[in-house]
Amino acid sequence: MKISYQWLARHVDLSGLTAQDVAQDFTLSTAEVEGVERFLPHLDAVVVGRVLEREKHPDADKLSVCKVDVGLAEPQQIVCGAPNVRAGLHVAVALPGTRLPGDLHIKKSKIRGVESCGMICSERELGLGEEHDGIWELPLSTKPGAPVAQELGLVDWIIEIDNKSLTHRPDLWGHRGLAREIAAMRKRPLKPLDPSPLASGSGAATPVEIRSAGCLRYIAVPIDGVAPRRSPDWLRALLFAVGARPIDLLVDLSNFVMHDLGQPNHCFDRAKLAGRGIVVRDARADERLLTLDGIERRLSSGDMLICAGDEPVALAGVMGGEGSKVQAGTDSLLLEVACFLPAVVRRTAQRLALRTDSSTRFEKHLDPTLPAQAAAHFVRLLKEIEPAARVAGASADVGAWRDPAREVHVRPERVRRLLGVDLSDARIAEILASLDFGVSAQEGELVVSVPSRRATKDIGIEQDLVEEVGRIHRYGNIPTRPLVAPVEPPPRDEGWRRRMLVRAVQDRLARDARLLEALSYSFVSDALLEQLSLSALPHVAVVNPVAEGFSRIRRGVLGSVLEKARDNRHHAERVALFEVGKGYLPEQANARGEPREIHECAIVLALPPSKEQRSDGAAWTQVRAIVEDLLAGLGHERAVAGPAQACEPCAHPIVRAAFRSADGAHELAVAMALDPVFAQRLGFAGDLKSDVACAVVSIDALLSAASEPRGYQPLPRFPGVKVDVAVVVPDAVPAARCEELLARSGKGLVRALEVFDVYRGGVLPPQARSLAWHVELRADDKTLGEAEVQKFLERVERALGEIGCTLRRQ
Amino acid sequence: MTDLSPEHASTLARLLAQVAAASAAEDLRAIGREALEKGGVVADLLASIPTLPPAERKGAGQAANRIKAELEAAIDARKRELEDGALLASRKVEGFDATLRAPRVERGALHPITQVVRELEDLFTSMGFEVLDGPEIELDWYNFEALNIPRDHPARDMQDTFRCDPAGELVLRTHTSPVQVRAMEKRRPPIRAIAPGKVFRQETTDASHEHTFHQMEGLVVDEDVSVGHLIHTMKTLLRGVFGKDIEVRLRPGYFPFVEPGFELDARCPFCKSGCSVCKQSTWIELLPCGMVHENVLRAGGIDPAKYSGFAFGLGLSRLVMLRYGIDDVRHLLSGDARFLRQFHRIG
Ligand SMILES: [Zn+2]
Repeated sequence: MKISYQWLARHVDLSGLTAQDVAQDFTLSTAEVEGVERFLPHLDAVVVGRVLEREKHPDADKLSVCKVDVGLAEPQQIVCGAPNVRAGLHVAVALPGTRLPGDLHIKKSKIRGVESCGMICSERELGLGEEHDGIWELPLSTKPGAPVAQELGLVDWIIEIDNKSLTHRPDLWGHRGLAREIAAMRKRPLKPLDPSPLASGSGAATPVEIRSAGCLRYIAVPIDGVAPRRSPDWLRALLFAVGARPIDLLVDLSNFVMHDLGQPNHCFDRAKLAGRGIVVRDARADERLLTLDGIERRLSSGDMLICAGDEPVALAGVMGGEGSKVQAGTDSLLLEVACFLPAVVRRTAQRLALRTDSSTRFEKHLDPTLPAQAAAHFVRLLKEIEPAARVAGASADVGAWRDPAREVHVRPERVRRLLGVDLSDARIAEILASLDFGVSAQEGELVVSVPSRRATKDIGIEQDLVEEVGRIHRYGNIPTRPLVAPVEPPPRDEGWRRRMLVRAVQDRLARDARLLEALSYSFVSDALLEQLSLSALPHVAVVNPVAEGFSRIRRGVLGSVLEKARDNRHHAERVALFEVGKGYLPEQANARGEPREIHECAIVLALPPSKEQRSDGAAWTQVRAIVEDLLAGLGHERAVAGPAQACEPCAHPIVRAAFRSADGAHELAVAMALDPVFAQRLGFAGDLKSDVACAVVSIDALLSAASEPRGYQPLPRFPGVKVDVAVVVPDAVPAARCEELLARSGKGLVRALEVFDVYRGGVLPPQARSLAWHVELRADDKTLGEAEVQKFLERVERALGEIGCTLRRQ
Repeated sequence: MTDLSPEHASTLARLLAQVAAASAAEDLRAIGREALEKGGVVADLLASIPTLPPAERKGAGQAANRIKAELEAAIDARKRELEDGALLASRKVEGFDATLRAPRVERGALHPITQVVRELEDLFTSMGFEVLDGPEIELDWYNFEALNIPRDHPARDMQDTFRCDPAGELVLRTHTSPVQVRAMEKRRPPIRAIAPGKVFRQETTDASHEHTFHQMEGLVVDEDVSVGHLIHTMKTLLRGVFGKDIEVRLRPGYFPFVEPGFELDARCPFCKSGCSVCKQSTWIELLPCGMVHENVLRAGGIDPAKYSGFAFGLGLSRLVMLRYGIDDVRHLLSGDARFLRQFHRIG
């Protein structure tokens, strides 16, 4: 919202205060200031000129050659194309060297062979209006040579205030409210507003009937003796300053009252109402109204209408109708000043995407006592400018409004304690009084009368008044104090454990496994879900997504990371990413309707495809190793890998493994190669064809599973023996089963087992592979010899033979 | 040191020359034997001492010892030289270039948001704050109602809420503030907590706007908590974040769940008299904060007659952007490895 410094000065004496001072005051005590700008700064350079002579241009019919007194020793010769230029006029002259809006740089020039020293300006050329049929005619009281800005009182500054910071302050939507703030801060009086009530005319009243609960108060004032005309320059200038385009006196005055007191109002051409009474009612579905902006609005039953009889003439609180607007020929008015319910106005403005100065104000719970003041203010100003204007009949003032003014008790001690500053009772009372609150002391408390303009929504409790004291005292004047509390570490609860676990996972993966941590949207696109065959699963979805097909919230993290890995393959050979995040399962919502939240970590590794194009190639091997190392690091060294049953659809049907805690109770992680079909669908194709493997690690399961005890193995006192064991293993026998038997055959001597070779083909039978292990045998009490090794191998041969495996002796 | 007679000096020189010329350990041993063992130059010299006049004996002894010591040292040194020779020969390098890079070690990195969150968690836990977590999908009650933002409140418009159902019973949380009430429900004062996390706003994405970003809520509730405590804590926060004392400015700001509410501006840490970061104002609007509204305390089951509190909300995405000079917020959640890799520093 734009605020004019000069306009503020109509309500409070600003002498000694610059616009910057005022802006600073607002910033520190009232509202957010977005900027301070000089209003039409070029008007400082444009000077008043008096046209002494006008002659026709010798070579151009439409041009005039003028001699103009611009305060210099000699009159200046200026060529002008305006039809209304004539001797005796006072005009605005831009002399050579002046810059005008639109980057117009005035220079001495020759126009059709005649020298011209400057330009006589129209209002439009000066950024002051739309009129460009002729030059701007200034009052004859202006002094040739003086800057136009100074002569016309146009030296002004515009203070731009952030509307959001006024959301809770219905009283600040006009200049008077903001002036009251300055008055309180600077301890200056607010200039009084004529308090006399609206005069009544002798004619008949316009009947008003409120049939909608959305209208709290409706004042209708019939006014005669008006005619559309140009507003006085001061009024036009102020409206310009706040960004309102002057139109004609009646419309301008309506705008002026809104920007002055913050009360929207509307002028109907009374002739167009044709004697029908005003009815405020809810719209009927599909009713239509052509609004002032020339757009036909289709209404709905939630909208509120102002009607003449039954004919809609305005969208209540939002915009007037085209058919009843003031225009050339209007000679009688009906002035509407009303108070509407914020929710109703807001709903309509929102639904029609029609935010107006009026609707914005009504949304803020305007003071219901304000319409009477605003109506009187309008009529008073109108009569000052247009003495023939008069109230034609009795005004209507109807509605079930109540004055919201109230008393709030304030304990000065509470103010001091909440602000943390030592203010005396008297100073607290003084600050509140400066804001026009009534204050009286009563048994150690202050009884504060909150006027209606602050009582609609803004101030209702003691804490609200603490803010009033604090902001006028200024928060910068409050001494800082350290928090004092018992010295205790935060509790080691589940939240703490999860956080520590997540940190450990991140560290192991980013630092030790050297993966990059990504963070993603919680949204997943329909396209991605389709590619992952997850579309059919229930997802939480928003009803107002930022883009079509981007409404669903992920159930797990893997999809987002796969997508990012694919995107990265455009510019990287090897992509290694992980993300720790949340997923939401709506089908497992709790009684309050909150979807179940899961915490998990997804890991994706994408490599250039290997020559063999095996699904269990490098990516799979590396991901599996990363997962095992991660689990070991988290205290699950003995986690057991086995076939993964339920798995992401995109998992390779064979190349996948689930890792369960040693006790078998929790599935901690699943690692998988990306199924080639899904890889293709996800876009790992063509140049981006990749060897992709991924894993999902459940933070929740890790949190529930008991980790293995920490401990230490004594260092061996006797050397161990390394034995290589090669076995032909049918595909149906899992390697883990062989390892189990190898360990058992060692009778406690097997200390380490490591697969070092896997191959198939050659002399091997079909559906079998050769697996070879390095086995370390070691005893705690002696150095093992060949005899023990042979016994071990014999036991291995026997045990493996029982499950169909063959020990390969060298 | 003893001066050697010319005769002795030439003997020593001859022996040293032999040592220098020796090309095998074997030769060195022979030289040593020849000089030091019976019949050798030094042995003869020592053997002749008793035959000399008493006045010359001391000098002769010292000369013999000196020759012996220098010879042995020379033999040792030459021996080491010969031994190292084989290794020196293995110092094979061709056209070595110190500026030639080796293939870089693969780099891992924590996301910059994670890094900043950890710093803040460490800072606040060191002051006894708990770190809390809240759901991204939130009940209207926690996101709005309990925070003193009833339906039809204009503040709801400012939030650009993603609704998960037409009525908006379930929303994507628009701020981390819902954690305030969740925290109060489960705890009794004193409460000191922060809650970092993801938040959502339904708005068009561009270089400075994202529909998904990260925030951190802070909450303190205790007896007699005042604006003075809030300012002090915020200064401590900024000192932790920027590593130096930062001037702050508190000005009125409107948020329905605090009263009074403030915008906290920090003196721009990047300039003295205005820069692009602070839009030439020397102030950076950094975090909204305020004293917890009594309706919010009540919603959390805390008696406002006995307790007061303050809350603040820090924009983590913005803080990360400020810290690293990131000019486009969309990089943060892009997952682009070229972006992520830049944050590999561990100190
Ligand atoms: Zn700066």
